[in-house]
Amino acid sequence: MRADGVLGMLDRWGRSALPGATLLFFVLLTLAPLRAPYLSGALPLLPALVVFQFSLATPERLPGPLLLIMGILLDLLLGGPGAPVGVSALGFVLIRAAVVNNRRYLVGVPFLFQWFGFCLLALGFVALVWFFTALWTWTAIDPLPALMQYAVVIVIYPLLAPLLARVRARDPLNVPDASRGTARPGETTS
Amino acid sequence: MAIRDDFEVVASQVRTAVQRFALGLLVIAAFGAMLLGKADTVLVEHARVLALDLASPVLEAIARPVAAANRVIADLKEFASLREENARLREENVRLLAWQTAARRLENENERMRGLANFREGPEASFITARIVGDSVSAYVRGALLNVGRKAGVASGQAVVTGEGLAGRIAEVGENRARVLFVTDVNSRLPVVIERTRERAILAGDNSPQLRLTLLQSVAGVQRGDRIVTSGHGGSFPVGIPVGEVVETGEGSVRVRPFADFSRLEFVRVVDYGVTGLVGSGGPAAPAAPPAGVRVR
Repeated sequence: MRADGVLGMLDRWGRSALPGATLLFFVLLTLAPLRAPYLSGALPLLPALVVFQFSLATPERLPGPLLLIMGILLDLLLGGPGAPVGVSALGFVLIRAAVVNNRRYLVGVPFLFQWFGFCLLALGFVALVWFFTALWTWTAIDPLPALMQYAVVIVIYPLLAPLLARVRARDPLNVPDASRGTARPGETTS
Repeated sequence: MAIRDDFEVVASQVRTAVQRFALGLLVIAAFGAMLLGKADTVLVEHARVLALDLASPVLEAIARPVAAANRVIADLKEFASLREENARLREENVRLLAWQTAARRLENENERMRGLANFREGPEASFITARIVGDSVSAYVRGALLNVGRKAGVASGQAVVTGEGLAGRIAEVGENRARVLFVTDVNSRLPVVIERTRERAILAGDNSPQLRLTLLQSVAGVQRGDRIVTSGHGGSFPVGIPVGEVVETGEGSVRVRPFADFSRLEFVRVVDYGVTGLVGSGGPAAPAAPPAGVRVR
């Protein structure tokens, strides 16, 4: 595809910056003092959801170093004396790697499969963060709040994922690797 | 043709190898950050404060619509129980008026007694009122971000109170931001006394809505409904700030419900007890004097 003029260039820049910007937004939203019960507790898991969702279609726009920085930023902002800084980064990088290596089972499949995949990966993420936080602070942290968070984010996924997928769908590169290059501009797969 | 195919195969192999290698590097980098944070806590503290200061304009922008949304949620909740709430408040008002009379009488009496006994009061506490601009509530942390910082005279370790009672203490301070660690956080340890028996204890959080009373000399003396107040041991906290009341006494474990309602905090007060001023060169330090432009009540 050839860039045509300034608008085309802006368009491409906007597209490549979108996943990163969305991730940053959700990282910052983590700190929003929202008082909605349950929902506010699940906010810290939404960045993981964004990483999962964008890794499905455009992992090249969420490069590893960016995920590293975002994860560390999230850990710094969430605070907690003694909590490990970088555990979210580790989780993000692993989620992206898991999605990229399992595209076959996650891309171009019915939504339920994607949801199931997210359930598995998010559980891994929650367990990872819980384990390292418990290890670093050397206290037996009650896993129940973390599981509660997990349950809420699982329920939120079907509400939020289609929105993020809509954002992606306008992207002409949003086609599986196998058919990339054969698709006409504007043609998408879901 | 065959050469080109071979080339493509090799190229793709190299690409996969690099990708795999990159994942390893990223994982190592993440672990490195975690170990570094464990080894050098001061560095992490600085990084946290820097991140807060950088993120604060965005938080400020997010806070307003979020506050509006919260108000709508709270309104809807209250609307459902308006009648009962009114009746309850009227009843409570009558009771409080009786208490007010009692308090006035006691205050007068206390003042006269102090005059007689030549009692010297502790340092005068002053308040910095702050708005909560961010939550740091997750499965592992119970805290919030305030819109005041070092410039307004906030220092690490100061008490944070609401109208109902103690909310927590200042954990980190940036230029214009501070982070409160709530008393319910798992890292919170607070020296307290039981108001009725004057027995000392430590009040510990465990990330649940209720607190745990530990290091009691005897559990036997504690009853349900006992009020827990700060003891002032350790210096930076004023004496006698109400913290919570005992709701459950079992074998070896006493649970306390905090008075502060963490689910609807909007404004809090940071208590400047002036201890930092006492340590100084003796001059009348006024660290609480807020510069212009900071919301102070």
